[in-house]
Amino acid sequence: MNISDFNIEFDKMINRDYFSDKVHPMREKAFSKFLEIGLPTKKWEDWRFTDLSSISNSSFRISEKQDSPNGDVDISQYQIDDVETIVIYNGHYIETLSSIPSGIQLLSGVDYIEKTKWEFKSPEDSPFDLLNTAFMDSGMSIVVDQNVCVEKPIRMLFISSGSESLMVTPRIHIDLGESSSATFIEDHRGDSNSFFQNGSTFVTLEQNAQLDHLRIQSNSVTTANIVNIQVEQNADSRYTFFQFAEGSQLGRLNIYNELKGDGANSDINGLTLSNGSQHLDNHIITDHQVPHCNSSQNFKTILQDHSSGVFNGRTIVRKDAQKTDSRQSNKNLLLSKSALMNSNPQLEIYADDVKCAHGSSTGTLDKDALFYLRSRGLDVLSAKALLVRGFATELLDLVKHDGTRDFITGQFDIWLSENTTA
Amino acid sequence: MLDIKNLHTAVDGKEILKGLNLSINSGEMHAIMGRNGSGKSTLANVITGRENYNVMKGDILFTGDSILDWSPETRALAGIFMSFQYPVVIPGVNITYFLKAALNAKRKHTGEKELDAAGFLKLIKEKLNEVSMDPKYLQRAVNDGFSGGEKKRNEILQMLTLEPTLAILDETDSGLDIDALKIVADGVNRYRNADRSFLVITHYQRLLKYIEPDFVHVLIDGQIVKSGGKELALKLEEKGYSWLES
Repeated sequence: MNISDFNIEFDKMINRDYFSDKVHPMREKAFSKFLEIGLPTKKWEDWRFTDLSSISNSSFRISEKQDSPNGDVDISQYQIDDVETIVIYNGHYIETLSSIPSGIQLLSGVDYIEKTKWEFKSPEDSPFDLLNTAFMDSGMSIVVDQNVCVEKPIRMLFISSGSESLMVTPRIHIDLGESSSATFIEDHRGDSNSFFQNGSTFVTLEQNAQLDHLRIQSNSVTTANIVNIQVEQNADSRYTFFQFAEGSQLGRLNIYNELKGDGANSDINGLTLSNGSQHLDNHIITDHQVPHCNSSQNFKTILQDHSSGVFNGRTIVRKDAQKTDSRQSNKNLLLSKSALMNSNPQLEIYADDVKCAHGSSTGTLDKDALFYLRSRGLDVLSAKALLVRGFATELLDLVKHDGTRDFITGQFDIWLSENTTA
Repeated sequence: MLDIKNLHTAVDGKEILKGLNLSINSGEMHAIMGRNGSGKSTLANVITGRENYNVMKGDILFTGDSILDWSPETRALAGIFMSFQYPVVIPGVNITYFLKAALNAKRKHTGEKELDAAGFLKLIKEKLNEVSMDPKYLQRAVNDGFSGGEKKRNEILQMLTLEPTLAILDETDSGLDIDALKIVADGVNRYRNADRSFLVITHYQRLLKYIEPDFVHVLIDGQIVKSGGKELALKLEEKGYSWLES
């Protein structure tokens, strides 16, 4: 998309009769700022290894009413057991297919803005956040009152489908009140062969609140999937994130996690699988601003063919954040000589009484282990598959919700059987 | 059962075995002794088919067939097993899953019905008992966090489970305390019968007090320079190797 493409689409967005014009000034402000900055290039430090030409050289249009499904959509193919599902199809909320979870308030974007009296987050420093504010067209906001435990996971199922080149811009706000808890699953699927999704998710956890946040990126390998997640944690809150990414031609996960209250805990994990010419990039920032917080980042990528990946994890420990306990780990497995991984775990420590560990390794399958398994009678393919599975097990085991773990493990095993070569 | 004829083997271009001959019949226990670097472990690895152990000359016959072109798994399925000197740690791979897969590969090969989870668990619990291992081992990853003794017991557990006809024990006694050594030796002794053969590779005479060999061979510089009965081991303990060196 060049600038004139963005301009054309933005005009359409602003002139839509079914969108609230109350939001227009906010969109316009964000869009003009985006035009000043433009899309990131490889000259930007944070984008050194990620080529955005699949976005900049393609033409996408915003999703219109006619892009919502005509007729029934069979969502049984996207089944995950034991969850409530909110369906968003090509950027359109499909109420008839959705089950509304109890114990929460589910709000549209405009309702959320009004509820928060316009005092909500809207970051202005990254082009994709600005684009999201300018074009936000779908997504929902979830508000959980204090002391409410939402037992059943809430899943937002994003289906991208059809042959049109669509740009879809979901915006999600999740606010958990004091001592409340919930599990939220973002599930990205669909067969669309050209799709650009730029989603932003804002999480606010009040004191002692707990959120399990799962993200599944299993859409087709021809789409571009940018996601910007901001998490703000108050005292004693717990945030657990797990991403399973196997879809998208271009994937970029940005997480900015602020630990703002004493005793907050965050664990950010991801398992990424790539093949063909996929490029999947994970950028995580954990920002310790106060004492006594714990955090971890644990990412693994398995790469086949000439696919490539990035892990850029940064843990910042500010001057006041004494007694911080943080860990960072990035391990990558190359199944092909042409695969490429860029791993960059970083610690930025300004406090003096902290415990911080980080490590990174990238390698091929262990030849000794392979021989060991074969010497017990396992054939090469079974032995390799067992080792790759063993590499991923640590992360798969982190998924607490049974239905989601079963789904992810099943997807992993399918990928493994298709990507293990003698 | 095993016939090694004039075997020359190179590792990374360096010749290690220089014309080794050895015959092991069914039911026999052979011990190979020798100093570090004499070629003992090379012999074990070349029989089991490890990559980069290149046979330059000679042959290895197993039950009459040359196995030089066989993959490691083909050799394993035919009944060759090695207890590793350094068992490999494989994080994330559960022992139960691994052993069940290995046993079922073997059963499939021999035309037996593959075991389901319950059937396997029953069998493995009996085997665990034989090497005094707690069933909680079954929850762990292969050799991950195991002590030296636990790793070696785990090798013997695998031998008992997979029931090979030729078991090669490569330095299985090294680094074991006496209790663990007895457990390992008991496991091996109970496994001995007229159809099963052993090749025990060791530095130390100590193991041979617990596992009595039928034959002892001395390996020096890639060749067997002397063979004899179990009394040869005692003589080696007393006199060392230098009297055999030319």
